Amino acid sequence: MIQIQQVSKTYDRGRSFAVQRVDLEVGVGELLVLLGDSGCGKTTLLKMINRLVEPTRGRILVEDRDVSRVNPVALRRGIGYVFQGVGLFPHMTVAENVAVVPRLLNWEPAACRDRVDELLRLTGLSPRTHRDRKPDELSGGQRQRVGLARALAARPRIMLMDEPFGALDPITRDGLQREFKRLQQALNLTVVMVTHDMTEALLLADRIAVMKQGVLVGTGTPRQILRNPSHPYIAALMETPRRQADQVESMLRSGGEGQ
Amino acid sequence: MTESALADQLRLLPDYLGHHLTLTLVALSSGIAVCLPLAILVTRVKSLQWPVLTVASVAQTIPGLALLALMVPLLGRIGFLPAFIALLLYSMLPILRNTVTGILGVAPDILEAAEGLGMTSRQRLFRVELPLAAPVIIAGIRTATVWVVGSATLSTPVGATSLGNYIFSGLQTQNSTAVLVGCAAAAVLAIVLDQLIRLGELAVAGRSRTKGWLAGAGLLVMLLSTVILQIPTAKGSAVVVVGAKPFTEQYVLAEAIAQRLTQAGLRAENRSSMGSMILFDALTDGHVDCYVDYSGTIWANVMKRQDLPPRRDLLEQMKAWLQREHQVRVLAALGFENNYGLAVPRHKAEALKLASIRDLTGHAPQMTIGADFEFFVRPEWTALRDAYRLDFRERRTFDPSLMYAAAREGVVDVISAYTTDGRIIEYDLAVLSDPLQALPPYDAVLVLSPAAARRAELVRALEVFDGSIDDKTMRAANKRVDVDGESPAQAARFLLKAVGLSSPG
Repeated sequence: MIQIQQVSKTYDRGRSFAVQRVDLEVGVGELLVLLGDSGCGKTTLLKMINRLVEPTRGRILVEDRDVSRVNPVALRRGIGYVFQGVGLFPHMTVAENVAVVPRLLNWEPAACRDRVDELLRLTGLSPRTHRDRKPDELSGGQRQRVGLARALAARPRIMLMDEPFGALDPITRDGLQREFKRLQQALNLTVVMVTHDMTEALLLADRIAVMKQGVLVGTGTPRQILRNPSHPYIAALMETPRRQADQVESMLRSGGEGQ
Repeated sequence: MTESALADQLRLLPDYLGHHLTLTLVALSSGIAVCLPLAILVTRVKSLQWPVLTVASVAQTIPGLALLALMVPLLGRIGFLPAFIALLLYSMLPILRNTVTGILGVAPDILEAAEGLGMTSRQRLFRVELPLAAPVIIAGIRTATVWVVGSATLSTPVGATSLGNYIFSGLQTQNSTAVLVGCAAAAVLAIVLDQLIRLGELAVAGRSRTKGWLAGAGLLVMLLSTVILQIPTAKGSAVVVVGAKPFTEQYVLAEAIAQRLTQAGLRAENRSSMGSMILFDALTDGHVDCYVDYSGTIWANVMKRQDLPPRRDLLEQMKAWLQREHQVRVLAALGFENNYGLAVPRHKAEALKLASIRDLTGHAPQMTIGADFEFFVRPEWTALRDAYRLDFRERRTFDPSLMYAAAREGVVDVISAYTTDGRIIEYDLAVLSDPLQALPPYDAVLVLSPAAARRAELVRALEVFDGSIDDKTMRAANKRVDVDGESPAQAARFLLKAVGLSSPG
């Protein structure tokens, strides 16, 4: 579905690399997580897929077409995007936010309306109560859901997600993550998701690609990554969730502290 | 008395308000039409930002009156055009700066979302950037509105009628009713326009149809009233434009001429409070049809002559010169002189034994002289100073209406008085004689533009003024305004009656 071939992005005329010679493939219906510290180039790589950033070298194919030969506006309208910090338009209602891309694509108003209601229900919001609200009248979790609905509006087959569940409290985040995973499987969406949250990556991903300082250091299923890390950096990364899991488990086994 | 004074002023309101509103609305809408695209361009081409905003800021720092006055020589004409251009420049900075600030203030993550969802740059502008910047942009437009309504009052001296006519003539004639009416009307207009825009903004933001209709209706009323208010004056070529310089005698004479023209069945319109040279230029190019000037003023300032022939000769030579050089016709010498003279309070003149300007020479280094804005840059002053070797300790300029009081109260020792001013007697001032005849005679003359001189009915209506007004009558008419608080229109009725020109009834 998406092929990333020898892609590099340099700034300062080649002196500093944001992304260095990355090769990566994402299959149909696969949820690939790009994992790494902030500044490792994962967001830059994500943005090169819909040409928000242009690669310096290499090429990217989406559904077998070289994206550099596709009109960027048309390309973006065909790919769902969930932005870091959601980026809802504050002057538009929830319904208007969700219908942005369908309207850019000149859908009939009635079709837009129906689609908005369908998506609000799909993302766990009530069309009646939420349709006409402004973003600042929503909770963080509700905003996140609207962001998701907006990305799904024009029925894309590919979704790009930049830390989509960041800035949410753990319970809301957990609920949303599981709902999204169900949705993704039901719609057979191909997803590239950026995160620096190891647990999120392990729980959601079909496959994880770990990046460090612009270089792809390894890929694998969550199980492979956890059990046989192919790179010392991956092993170090996995140390944290592993230790946390062990601590939780030992607490459960001893019957819990303070009881 | 007070009631009739107010009624006298309110009679002028439709005309002044109509012109003011037209000027304001045209300047503002042009300002918006120019500045919005320019501001958008500036946000796209960053290198333009500094130069464009700097130019707008500089235009803003020029005082309103100076900016307006500057437009006259730049455009070579008076009236609506220079006022419009100056006000347009004046409206630019708040609109430009707020639009740029508003657009650049849209959060980067919102812009990225717009781009990432597949908006073209135009869609991003109209669907995201402009709606989000709208409150800031509208705040700028409202600021510009209030400024332009206020500054438009300054377009009176460049020959565009506005509510400033009340203020300028009111200040000169010490008619506080006129000044108050002008200020109040301008303030009300500014508030109404500002609130209409605010209402429109609320209507859009709150998607309220009622507010939208109200704002639309209000704006429509404004637009219609510019047309309706000006219907009486919009009768085209038949209107005779009567000019006046900014002092009482000129207002009274312009009113008297206008009243006389009305009696004769012609339509007259006054353009008051214009500077001497602006007025003369306006006459030669036909923007003003007639006004009263003074022979000495034209002799020294327009003809640039330094010699001084006797009064009759000077008048004849001037008539011939104006006809030859400018096709300007001197229709009538009104019969009185309004000379420049140096005046001192009588008690001071007696104490220092001052009878002629020559007696001043020795005292001048200890004295302060006050004059109107023009006097010290006019050739008459140079001639006077050199002839009597006058070397005053200090020179101060005043509004003519304040100059006499300054002399009475001892703020200055000597003033450049107009000899027909009623306040010379009222304030007990002594006019010093000019034995060396350094100052020319200032016969009041009614001058016609080349076009006006060809209109027989106009010439017939006004030639009766020839030799009709003597010094005493003119001084009495001036005093009615400056001392007794009458309006120029009332004084003009007195003047016409006194010289036997008022129509029966």
